Amino acid sequence: MASAAAAKIAEVRETTRVERIGAHSHIRGLGLDESLEARHVSQGMVGQMSARRAIGIVLKMVRDGRIAGRAVLLAGQPGTGKTAIATALAAALGHDTPFTSMAGSEIYSLEMGKTEALTQAIRKSIGVRIKEESEIIEGEVVEVQIERPATGVGTKVGKLILKTTEMETVYDLGGKMIDSILKEKVQSGDVITIDKATGKITRLGRSFARARDYDATGQQTRFVQCPEGELQKRKEVVHTVTLHEIDVINSRTHGFLALFSGDTGEIKPEVREQINGKVAEWREEGKAEMIPGVLFIDEVHMLDIECFSFLNRALENEMAPIVIMATNRGITRIRGTNYKSPHGIPLDLLDRMIIVPTSPYEEKELREILSIRCEEEDCQMSDNALTVLTRISKETSLRYGMQLIMTSSLIARKRKAAEVDVEDIKRAYQLFFDEGRSVQFLKEYQQEFMFNEEDAIEMDTS
Amino acid sequence: MTDWLSQVKNAKKSCMVQNNLKKVHYDFGNGREMVEEYNTDTNVVTRRAWKLKNGMDAEGEWDIELGDPEVNFNKEQLLFIKESSTQPVVTRRNTRINLEWRIRNLPYPIETYSVVVDEEKKSLVVRTTNKKYYKVLRIPELDRLYLQPVQEAVRITHKFNTLIITYKKPKQLLELEKNVLEEVNKIKPNNYGDMDCKPS
Repeated sequence: MASAAAAKIAEVRETTRVERIGAHSHIRGLGLDESLEARHVSQGMVGQMSARRAIGIVLKMVRDGRIAGRAVLLAGQPGTGKTAIATALAAALGHDTPFTSMAGSEIYSLEMGKTEALTQAIRKSIGVRIKEESEIIEGEVVEVQIERPATGVGTKVGKLILKTTEMETVYDLGGKMIDSILKEKVQSGDVITIDKATGKITRLGRSFARARDYDATGQQTRFVQCPEGELQKRKEVVHTVTLHEIDVINSRTHGFLALFSGDTGEIKPEVREQINGKVAEWREEGKAEMIPGVLFIDEVHMLDIECFSFLNRALENEMAPIVIMATNRGITRIRGTNYKSPHGIPLDLLDRMIIVPTSPYEEKELREILSIRCEEEDCQMSDNALTVLTRISKETSLRYGMQLIMTSSLIARKRKAAEVDVEDIKRAYQLFFDEGRSVQFLKEYQQEFMFNEEDAIEMDTS
Repeated sequence: MTDWLSQVKNAKKSCMVQNNLKKVHYDFGNGREMVEEYNTDTNVVTRRAWKLKNGMDAEGEWDIELGDPEVNFNKEQLLFIKESSTQPVVTRRNTRINLEWRIRNLPYPIETYSVVVDEEKKSLVVRTTNKKYYKVLRIPELDRLYLQPVQEAVRITHKFNTLIITYKKPKQLLELEKNVLEEVNKIKPNNYGDMDCKPS
């Protein structure tokens, strides 16, 4: 019994681990009003009015879903919010529209070709909404028991007890199911549905019978009736899968387990052709509906000339998604050639794109962003400190400024202060070098470092 | 849906005999396939299964309508969720005059259960007074004849943690089964299965 209790505690810790603060986790949308005009500060976005308005129009285009294979290039200096805008677009599109985000360097892999990686990325960005009759389990959770071996390694064992108004059943859980139950934070009193074939869990809400469990509940808590009848039902469900997922399921050599391991390898073109035919057939029968999504390629200058020419061709396909690329390069060498081109992208592809520039932030905007980040990172900061931090960000970079938020807040906490003051910022500024000071330091003390020959080969960053 | 007997007549059938088991395969066209197993001593169907076709995955499984469920050692299934082995399971086993359902792992006394005909759903509804078990049992044999189930034909017994529900076959069903059996007997069995095997 004691071990079970210990397991429960560990489980609670594990579930809280999921919510971490990333560089763009404060972004909840594009911050546009109904007429697609950008609000100055909204949904975590600040400034870049014209770029956001432009992406708002792209958003409209994606939602309409009629235009295939357009490319948009977000071009701007480092730290001007290109990735933020793409993240915002993903948030604005919502769950149902596929949004694939990748970095240009991701396509270089030993396991598959560059074009295969690009094809997979493109097919990941096309959703198919399928109506299908599937077996689901719908009930109120009576109890979740998850036990792990005392050694900490090995398979976990789990039991789930579900009930309806008429019956109650104990289910055995497999490893994947335990993980998704922990991730969804399913607890007793929740009303959930589980798709038996895919193992997907959906929380419908909390049972009315448990409405008095807590004095305070979050606003989002929805109360529902305990389901009636049998636990297991056949229901017509609508689910969205991507073309890539269908490919993987149907590629004989791997089976659908590959979806979880992520190890898909190359998929034969015949399989893809067959899937395309099948999807077209479903569309005609009215069983399926296409949802073209968005493929976002960050650091697009890392692609080489072969990828660019492949993209040229791929964008002409009517199944192609909207491709958004971002780069922070100026006129530079196209990878794989000796030619120079704007943004490191060949002119013929550039010609097919609409280019959205982002510009450096104003001081006022920097201040807004920093204060939003302070809130996101749970850090109280005095007005003066924020002013100093804004100045630092203006002179060095916004990214460096954001790094100082957490560090200075930790320094402030050490002296048991309620909020971060100018002193803490100063201390953090002295402790951590920004890129400019680091370069200067290197220049001053160069002879004391290793490999410091004057004629050292400069790093090739293109 | 057309009448069952004519469907059976028009289906592409093949069969084979193994000891006292006769296995018949029906292909109804448009992807519907069914397999029946007859006991040649009693001429009773011991197993009936339908091929399942699902949209995305090319490979379908068999849905057992009658007889014991196939043991599934498929590892893929273990990744998700399945009923615990201590939970009630329904199996079907027909006799010459009765349709029969056996629900194992039901430890409650017989007063707990009620089996009621639901006219609207054309099925039997199993309920327990302690709200532990509930099941809607369809009766495909009657569905094929467009017959309405009647409460008088239902009988339940409880033995060895098993609830046995019997439903007396109506006259029309007995008639139909006789006709189908005649059809089945017309098929020439393929000879593999009982070839002379002489292990050296």
